[in-house]
Amino acid sequence: MANPTPADVLRGTLDLLILKTLTLAPMHGWGISQRIQQFSRGVLDVNQGSLYPALQRLGHRGLITSEWQVTEHNRRARYYALTPRGREALHEETASWRRYVSAVEWILATS
Amino acid sequence: MHRLTGLSQRLRSALRRGAIEAELDEEIRLHLDLETERNVALGMAPAEARRRALAAFGGVEATKEAHRDGRGTRWLADLAADTRHALRNLRRRPVFALTAIATLALGIGANTTIFSAVEAVVLRPLPYADPGRLVMLWEENPEKDWHEQLVAPANALDWKDRVAAFADVALYNTGIGNATLTGEGPPRLLRRDRVTGNFFSVLGVAAELGRTLRPDETWGSGTHVAVLSHHAWLEHFGGDTAVVGRTVQLEGEPVQIVGVMPERFEAPLPDVDLWGPFEWKQSDRSQIWFRRAHWPRAVARLRPGVTLEQANAELQVVVRQLQHEYPETNSVMGAGFTPLHRFLVGDARRPLLVLLAAVSLLLAIACANVGNLLLVQAAGRERETALRLALGAGRSRIIRQALAESLVLSAIGGAVGIGLGMGGTRLLAALQPEGMLRVAHIGFDARVLMYVLLVTFVSGIAFGIAPALWSGRRAPGDAIKEGGRGGDAGGTGRRWAERLVVAEVGLAVLLTLGAGLLVRSFLRLQQVNAGFEAEGVLTAAIALPEATYDSVRGPVFFDQLVEQVRGVPGVTNAALASAIPLTGATWTSDFVIAGRPASEFGSEVMHRMVSPDYFDVMRVPLLSGRRFTAEDRAGAPPVTLINDQLARQYFRGTSPVGQRITFDRVPDSTSKWYTIVGVVGSERQRELAAEPRIEAYFPVAQNPGNYRILVARTAGDPAVLGPSIRRVVAGLDPSLAIASLRTMREVRTVASARDRFLTTLMLLFAVVGVVLAVVGVYGVMAQLAQRRSHEMGIRLALGAEPSAVRWLVVRHGLALVGIGLAAGVLVAAAATRSLAALLYQIPPADPATFVAVPLILAAAGLAAAWVPAAHASRVDPATTLRSD
Repeated sequence: MANPTPADVLRGTLDLLILKTLTLAPMHGWGISQRIQQFSRGVLDVNQGSLYPALQRLGHRGLITSEWQVTEHNRRARYYALTPRGREALHEETASWRRYVSAVEWILATS
Repeated sequence: MHRLTGLSQRLRSALRRGAIEAELDEEIRLHLDLETERNVALGMAPAEARRRALAAFGGVEATKEAHRDGRGTRWLADLAADTRHALRNLRRRPVFALTAIATLALGIGANTTIFSAVEAVVLRPLPYADPGRLVMLWEENPEKDWHEQLVAPANALDWKDRVAAFADVALYNTGIGNATLTGEGPPRLLRRDRVTGNFFSVLGVAAELGRTLRPDETWGSGTHVAVLSHHAWLEHFGGDTAVVGRTVQLEGEPVQIVGVMPERFEAPLPDVDLWGPFEWKQSDRSQIWFRRAHWPRAVARLRPGVTLEQANAELQVVVRQLQHEYPETNSVMGAGFTPLHRFLVGDARRPLLVLLAAVSLLLAIACANVGNLLLVQAAGRERETALRLALGAGRSRIIRQALAESLVLSAIGGAVGIGLGMGGTRLLAALQPEGMLRVAHIGFDARVLMYVLLVTFVSGIAFGIAPALWSGRRAPGDAIKEGGRGGDAGGTGRRWAERLVVAEVGLAVLLTLGAGLLVRSFLRLQQVNAGFEAEGVLTAAIALPEATYDSVRGPVFFDQLVEQVRGVPGVTNAALASAIPLTGATWTSDFVIAGRPASEFGSEVMHRMVSPDYFDVMRVPLLSGRRFTAEDRAGAPPVTLINDQLARQYFRGTSPVGQRITFDRVPDSTSKWYTIVGVVGSERQRELAAEPRIEAYFPVAQNPGNYRILVARTAGDPAVLGPSIRRVVAGLDPSLAIASLRTMREVRTVASARDRFLTTLMLLFAVVGVVLAVVGVYGVMAQLAQRRSHEMGIRLALGAEPSAVRWLVVRHGLALVGIGLAAGVLVAAAATRSLAALLYQIPPADPATFVAVPLILAAAGLAAAWVPAAHASRVDPATTLRSD
């Protein structure tokens, strides 16, 4: 195939991506998966089977909340939103991700 | 904070499981819809769009499952699922389920019944205030082998005054008096116990109505008072509250009812209708008889903070003082005490614990049986289990599921068992021999329920653990490979089944040996020659009120009574006695034989008044001399008959007939001397199991009294003559009540009631235990034979004799039964020692029992192995070979 297939979101980074996505606006699950795909310009594809457990996990940790609302097409959907704790966590995790990426980058560069 | 949110969410999850599932479904549905719409918008056909959406989602059920795991209620959901799974499994196999539940219910029900009795009698504290500080005081004379005997009132009153460790000491009579109540409708006989005035305050129980007795009322003041039991208040006074303060006629005397006791009050002596004070005179305290005669019981309450040791040390000091002060009566008398609960429960404790042990063995056998059934079930399902293991089901999950099944079984069995136990408890309370179980209110309470729950849970685990572990341990490949033949001929499953057989047989032999010993002892007790012939004798106790019958009118009445009863058709002879054998209701004294030194006195000779025909009616043989005759009347020289026991113990070599005897310890000029006119056979006075004691008989004519028992020998069934006797009594004096009317056979039955009760229950448990064990052995053998049927078929095809094949299976079964028997007998040899105190003339290691019982069980085991063996030898070789 000519088109490279989208890579699965790396385990462990899904939480970070969800938090980041929700900084824009509250969203329902499908919207989150679409938005991640768009932002990554089609490179990243959310394994949707792991999306909902991840949302639930984040809810348990108090980083996001959820609420049933009506979509613009008049359908009931559960909207997820970031809590202040979630915002803090996003900052910390972003910083730690950056440290991680640059560390990997250095290693790859030294050879 | 977030932990709290998490927790509350988890809680909500657990509580709102259905709602959350629905929300998740909706969320996923929306997701799939939106994805499908996007795919359509990208130009896919709707069906393809849907398929892609589903594929992208990656397993709806897996997502749901992961979501559920995340909720942290996994175990709860698993538990529910396991329970549902277990119930479904059981519904699919109703015969198995019903058999298992019935077996368990039987075992748990029997346990519940016996435990409720143990709880009520042995464990529950006495219904008194601070019962732990109450002790029963007793006197002893080690020289004469008297232990825990009744006390002399003068001694008990001195202990009360001098032992500082006793806050107070109360006394009560052990012989309940009959008191005729008149003027309240037809005359009725009430059972009155005489007590000291502080009796109720020492026990710490207040009256329900009115008051209890006052300490000063111990001493006679000319006015008479009484406190009613709740039962008597309801039965004789219709529960009328106005009875308090009223004066009623008892024995023709005015007695004021001062109070009514609450329903829950139980005196140490059961079945008392009313309590009245002793009404002693203060001057009695200095009388020698008050210190010599032992007749009441004494209960002391210890002061707070005083230990039993301290109290006993103080008591011993006083005992020594009294020995010095009153050498004539006290020189050899010791005293001591036992915690009241232990004293009162004493006799009932061991039989109950033996029964509890028996029902526990029964339950263990039941558990082994159900365990075996489960094992067979697990073997039948092993391919299913193996497949699930191969497909990745967790071993722990499979074990849990198997355990869930056994716990569901035991829970249902326990529920049914509780029902059975409640019925059994009522039955037990109704069947218990009078006086054995101190408390009539045996019933269900929290402790019994806790015990049942525990027993249910433990048995669920006990019979479930082996099959569960076994299913979980099997390597998946083996079971699948073994395939269609239902394999595992030599596997762990078989070993478990064999162990169960050995255990069941061992438990059954233990149980049956215990029952066998008790049965042998009981049979021996039934054969005891009690010294009289019980068949065909009717007895009727009559108490004449002192107020209307004096020492002249009383004997006249009794003479007329005997005369008229003799005339009743069916009665061949009638007589009077002051006491009948096997009831122990008589008194004792010291005695001296004429011509012997005063130091050679004898003690504890029983006294009984009888009319001349008594020995004829009871068929007590005359061994030498003569019986009483009509000539031995009042005013004639005093005469006595002695029993064989007394003649042998005190007249060795000489003939007692013609010798004289007096019943004082130190004869003086006022002593009354009796001529021994004959020797009669010895009757067992107190109980069947106790040797006859020395006894002297006196003619009623020379010793008038107001309480006599009419004994009548009849030609046919004595019981049918009861109404005729009542008519005769009513004809002589319509105001008289008969205290008790029963046949001598009933008296004898009551005398062995405790042994009958214990033996019957043990035998019942043993029979059920053996049946369960035999069924178990049969089940296992049938299953083993079934598993080997392939091998048998080949053997037969190769020309083996059917009898050889049969022997193969039987030998296997007998080997298992043999191991079980050996183990059971070994354990029993040690365990039956605890039965020794309950056995009459049978040693705990009775050879006859220890040979017969294992033989019977071996025969039963042989039969259980024979049937499957016979089946195995009839296998058609062709079928076996084809099925390969």
